[in-house]
Amino acid sequence: MDRRELLKMIAAATGGVVIGGEFFLAGCKNPDAGVGVSSTFTESDIAFLDEVAETIFPKTSTPGAKDAKVGQFMTVMVNDCYDQKQQEAFHAGMKSLNEACKTKHGHDFMKATPEQRKEMLVALDKERSEYQKTKKKEDPNHYFQAFKQLTIMGYFTSKEGRTGATRYEPVPGKYIGDFDYKKGDKIITSLT
Amino acid sequence: MEEQFDAIVVGSGISGGWAAMELCRKGLKTIVLERGRQVEHIKDYPTTNLAPWELLHRNRNTNKIKDDQHIQVRGFCNEANSHFFVNDKEHPYVQKKPYDWIRGYHVGGRSLMWGRQCYRWSDLDFEANAKDGHGVDWPIRYKDIAPWYSYVEQFAGISGSKEGLPQLPDGDFLPPMEMNALETHVSESIKQKFTDGRRMIIGRVANLTRGWNGRGPCQYRNLCDRGCPFGGYFSSNSATLPVAASTGNLTLRPHSIVMEVIYDKDKKRAKGVRIIDENTNESIEYFAKIIFLNASTLGSTSILLNSVSDAFPNGMGNSSDQLGRNLMDHHYHVGAGGNFDGLKDKVISGRRPNGIYVARFRNINEKTKRSDYLRGFGYQGGASRGMNWNGDGIGSELKDQMTEPGDWSFWLGSWGEQLPHPDNRVTLSKTEKDKWGLPQLEIDCEWKENEIAMRKDMMNSAAEMLESGGIKDIYTFNDEKAYPGLCIHEMGTARMGKDPKTSVLNEWNQLHEVKNVFNTDGACMTSSACQNPSITYMALTARAADHAVSELKKGNL
Repeated sequence: MDRRELLKMIAAATGGVVIGGEFFLAGCKNPDAGVGVSSTFTESDIAFLDEVAETIFPKTSTPGAKDAKVGQFMTVMVNDCYDQKQQEAFHAGMKSLNEACKTKHGHDFMKATPEQRKEMLVALDKERSEYQKTKKKEDPNHYFQAFKQLTIMGYFTSKEGRTGATRYEPVPGKYIGDFDYKKGDKIITSLT
Repeated sequence: MEEQFDAIVVGSGISGGWAAMELCRKGLKTIVLERGRQVEHIKDYPTTNLAPWELLHRNRNTNKIKDDQHIQVRGFCNEANSHFFVNDKEHPYVQKKPYDWIRGYHVGGRSLMWGRQCYRWSDLDFEANAKDGHGVDWPIRYKDIAPWYSYVEQFAGISGSKEGLPQLPDGDFLPPMEMNALETHVSESIKQKFTDGRRMIIGRVANLTRGWNGRGPCQYRNLCDRGCPFGGYFSSNSATLPVAASTGNLTLRPHSIVMEVIYDKDKKRAKGVRIIDENTNESIEYFAKIIFLNASTLGSTSILLNSVSDAFPNGMGNSSDQLGRNLMDHHYHVGAGGNFDGLKDKVISGRRPNGIYVARFRNINEKTKRSDYLRGFGYQGGASRGMNWNGDGIGSELKDQMTEPGDWSFWLGSWGEQLPHPDNRVTLSKTEKDKWGLPQLEIDCEWKENEIAMRKDMMNSAAEMLESGGIKDIYTFNDEKAYPGLCIHEMGTARMGKDPKTSVLNEWNQLHEVKNVFNTDGACMTSSACQNPSITYMALTARAADHAVSELKKGNL
């Protein structure tokens, strides 16, 4: 229910614990975090992350991850909620993702076409999925895990994603426990 | 400031608010001493109307929160409510064994963030110690407290259904919230398939299902722990303190850390308290005819332990050596969950700040007697249908999958009774002090054999009930790192009892040895039962306040 739903289900969708989630008790090495200033990401990093997120959650009849400024969101979460080791892993992951694109398509992720980006991330997500299933508990997550988790979390907690792709009621006023649903209706989530 | 009052109330949380209201309404000039800052209803709820995207970290804990509030985050402290939980660095204590002390130091205390579940106790609970010999007998029975349950329910506003269960007495309820489609189904299955009388009912909760005493109703936002601008649930801030203030008899002093109760040896009464101002470190004394300690279980006991005099070298009212002993909590983070393949044409609209409840069904009579453990447990939980999180892959395919509803799921968590044990105790550190120079509390508490044995059944029975309701893919959990304290139902350490030799408080919550000092928060509890305790603190407080004023008028205090 509510936040538990989000964390549990994101973890289920990506096969791991959500960093920054309530069950995650990381060591803390960033005492001044919380101000929301991206100190270790450049504008081009944010543009890169926006494109990764948009490939994971593209604009369709509903807003995409870029509309929801997921790139910016990722940098805030990494800076303020990830511990140092996780931050390093995230930055290394950005490099690895770009390298994987170079290997596959011969150029940087930012220069790739939307089709090339998708092809590449579909393959990377399969690799992630396989790895997560077989890895030992103490092994680190596959580097794509964080990108996917943060995209999902960032999208559904953004104004664009929440109001565009779900039915959001700030003040429901009542509870209906057997509300009629038919395919095509906007979903309702209990996320707060 | 005039420093003489009729009554002093220490603490403004759920029981302190009640003490203040009752004493003020009965005409006593009352000062409430709150160790933390002021929190005014609505005005001081800064996050209450924020949308998910208006929280910079989307309600996740930052490294700063995880560092400053490293114990609080083990509970449910998050970005939107962290200002209502203490900074652990400023409020240290000694864990002789792992113990999560989750606190809110401000006006209203944890009544702002509480879980709001309200269940009466029955004689099954009040007679438990006498029957199995653990702890001492309660000096009261259900009949003594029943009218006071009604009294506090009628003011607070508790929604719930009448079920006629002897082990979970019905109260004076507002209309119940409704179960959702899957909860109704599972509840019916349980009723049909189990012959031991177990029932799954809608939670009884201090959220208002209609306007009540000028508050509410609940708007089904489920943002209660940020404070409610609609006054949709009971808190000291929204309910008791405003009424207390309206009498003209209330003085509320925030930033007042009570160090000790001052004893008058000749009169054998307390004459007042000594505080230290949280900000200025100034020491001030306040005097009154009666003193209510409502500083929370461990707060009140700390004050008594620190109230040392020639008459009470080991803490005020502690000739029994029971002060600090028999610390209890509920043990939880154990249960089961799963999914349901059906009801595909139904979803949930609105965010109900409540779930279902399964009343205790073990050891309630001869037929349900267990050989492996004493006492019992209840369940809280519920069904939900949210997004489909099982989508795989990436791209528009993933998005399409995730913007359709997933399967219904059901989650059942169990809350179990902890036996009173004299070795589960708190003491004052002889070496460690806090920044005000007060001795830190040392907590030495652990789950013992009975709790550990009970947990197996708590887990397995959850799975069994879900199975009976047609739930699939059932998983079970039993979190061994859910240490005492985490449930935030700490109780005991100044227990009520009949005999001054073995208990700290009498049947009216008076210190046996200092009759004008009352304690009516969790510290007074003689056993823990398995029900959420706050409504019992409220009822005991109203009852004790009534007795106190009556005794005062008779000249007995």
